[in-house]
Amino acid sequence: MSIVQTKELAVGYEGRTVVGQINLEALKGQFICLLGPNGSGKSTIIRTLSGLLRPLGGSVFLKGEHLYTIQPQDLAKTMAVVLTERLSPGLIKVFDLVAMGRYPYTGFFGRLTGKDAGKVWEALSLVGAGKLAGRYFNELSDGEKQKVLMARALVQEPEVLILDEPTSHLDLKHRLEVMAILRRLTQKKGITVILSLHEVDMALKSCELVILVKNGKILAYGPPEEILGDERVAELYDIDCANFSNCLGGIELRNGGGAGVFVLAGGGSGALVYRLLNKQGFSLSTGVIPENDIDYHVGQALGATVISEKPFEEISKSSLNRAVFASTQAAYILDAGFPVGTQNKRNLDLVKQVLAQGRTIYSLRNPKEIRLLFGEGKGQWVFCPTTGALLSQLKIEEGQRQGKNASTSAAVVVG
Amino acid sequence: MVTEVIPKSFSRFSSPIGCKPFYLLALLSILLVLTLILSLTLGSVAIPLKDLSQVLLGQGSHTVDKTVILDIRLPRALAAAFGGAALAVSGLLLQIFFRNPIVDPYVLGVSSGATLVVALLMLTGFSLGMGSVSPFLVTLAALIGALGVVVLVMAIANRVKSVVTLLVIGLMIGYLCSAVVNILMTFAEKENLHNFILWTLGSFSGFDWREVEILAPVGGVLLAAAYLLSKPLNALLLGEDYAQSMGVKIKKLRRGTVLISSALTALVTAFAGPVAFIGLASPHLARLILGTSDNKILIPATILLGATVTTLCDLLARISFSPVELPISAITSLLGAPIVISLLMKRRTSL
Repeated sequence: MSIVQTKELAVGYEGRTVVGQINLEALKGQFICLLGPNGSGKSTIIRTLSGLLRPLGGSVFLKGEHLYTIQPQDLAKTMAVVLTERLSPGLIKVFDLVAMGRYPYTGFFGRLTGKDAGKVWEALSLVGAGKLAGRYFNELSDGEKQKVLMARALVQEPEVLILDEPTSHLDLKHRLEVMAILRRLTQKKGITVILSLHEVDMALKSCELVILVKNGKILAYGPPEEILGDERVAELYDIDCANFSNCLGGIELRNGGGAGVFVLAGGGSGALVYRLLNKQGFSLSTGVIPENDIDYHVGQALGATVISEKPFEEISKSSLNRAVFASTQAAYILDAGFPVGTQNKRNLDLVKQVLAQGRTIYSLRNPKEIRLLFGEGKGQWVFCPTTGALLSQLKIEEGQRQGKNASTSAAVVVG
Repeated sequence: MVTEVIPKSFSRFSSPIGCKPFYLLALLSILLVLTLILSLTLGSVAIPLKDLSQVLLGQGSHTVDKTVILDIRLPRALAAAFGGAALAVSGLLLQIFFRNPIVDPYVLGVSSGATLVVALLMLTGFSLGMGSVSPFLVTLAALIGALGVVVLVMAIANRVKSVVTLLVIGLMIGYLCSAVVNILMTFAEKENLHNFILWTLGSFSGFDWREVEILAPVGGVLLAAAYLLSKPLNALLLGEDYAQSMGVKIKKLRRGTVLISSALTALVTAFAGPVAFIGLASPHLARLILGTSDNKILIPATILLGATVTTLCDLLARISFSPVELPISAITSLLGAPIVISLLMKRRTSL
């Protein structure tokens, strides 16, 4: 059954339409998220859906009824909100603040009955804030405040809960807690949750439906797994310095532009090394990596040149050749300590060819293992016990290399 | 799944503040009664407690004492108590309404309107031919001025969207009125000017029963009306958006709050002139003493505190430099400001 429905809704302030042509439908117990850049109108939509702002056009239906014809008190029993504005309600204890949510149920003077008090305790324990009941609201941390405000909304016993950026200002722990509580509400209590979010990864991992808002219209609407494609996210936020990866569920910053590094990786050995080098501005190439490998996805998201092989296939000759070529282009060659198995054993050939070219390999593997795999390499191995050691080694080399370049170019000038 | 075990001892009370506020309110009531008794006994003629009780019970034959107590001190003390309560609640309502702790009852320009009309009466030719201006006329003038501003503010309150705009408009009305008053003062005669300035500092002297008979019932009704708003006002502590989402009819509440608070202020200003500080400080005192912003407790406490403090200040104004009477605004500020500061310093939270 549709709980909230909008038809050709246009929202905005004083004749200036912020977002138009909004056609949405929220069913019972759905977890729906509005995503979009700052200023795209998420909050305006949220405020209109919660009845705080009159729509400029079209209509909002709550359980089939026109939202603006519902009496405020009845509306408060069906829908509750958590807003972004920072509250300073004065000398109010948490219990009393949450109890205010009983407003539509209590009598003329707002006296709480035993049942009301029970609801308050229930809501407080539902968000895990029972211990805060006797504290002053002003003295709580941001995360605690947010939980208390959610409890306040819950004692209204709503069927729809609308939240405007409930996770901003919160640390990771509270952010996760808030999302976990909301998900529980949708699953256990059948409450329809509509919220706006900043974090794409959070939306992808917790919401049932996402609504992408940009440039005054709804860009897309559907399950995040389907519509949060890598390019779509980049388009949504106009990102060009980072890549979003749907299957990794996160954003990777692109840096690049510096000296080239070829990383021999696979089996997850490369992911962290890529990030480390990428942060320092090195341009990455890597290989040969099967496409079902985490290193493949992280590498792609970071914008590295990934020489890859089809999933579960042995590395082909041609892939090997491409990798050898890529390695010759790079200033440094790095062994991330990839595991060797039947499918990627051609990577051993890759290492041998690199060694044959007389290149130095910086390795995170322990020396014993290298001797076992590749025999004695004539001083071509540099062993780095940690990534930190690796990085400082690379920086020293890089410094020397640039110094040399400078002196050769100076020599040319003198000559 | 987060499940929490709530200690049993805690779940027994319906609210963490328990029943403590009730005792505090009783204590404040006793304090008010004591202050009233004090202000009836002290003065240029000291009246012992025994005589006082006899006069109040209608026994004995203290004719002089009877006149002093029943005709002079009692109406004055009651006027101070009701006036103080009215100003204090007016201040409280506006502080919640504007969500601003330094708002006082005069921010909407009520006293400026009263002052303007009184200045027109006292400083210009209107009073020519009448010798001195009768107190009744002054009261009438102040009432006209105050109510005029109330009507104006109400009309504006219906039109503007944001309360901050209303606040600024109120301030502007105040500036406009005082500009005119300043011009009038420049051209006024010395003696008139002195009387006018004394009026602007407020006083409860010369109150008689006729005035109390108007002030007390009207004030009482308005105070009761303010208490009836305590539930939506509590919701308003969370801001207009949250209040609306909980089912508060914001426009009605806005109109009610502005109307009640300005009417209370207009009432007191008409009879006693602008009395400073009570409306700003009493709500703070009440909040800090009770440790809560819950209006169901705070409104009665503010009424009691406003009444007590004002009666006490009026007493001090009367007796400290007798026979010269000090303006009450001087006493309220001198006494109140240090108390508020020291209370605020002890606690971290405000409003």
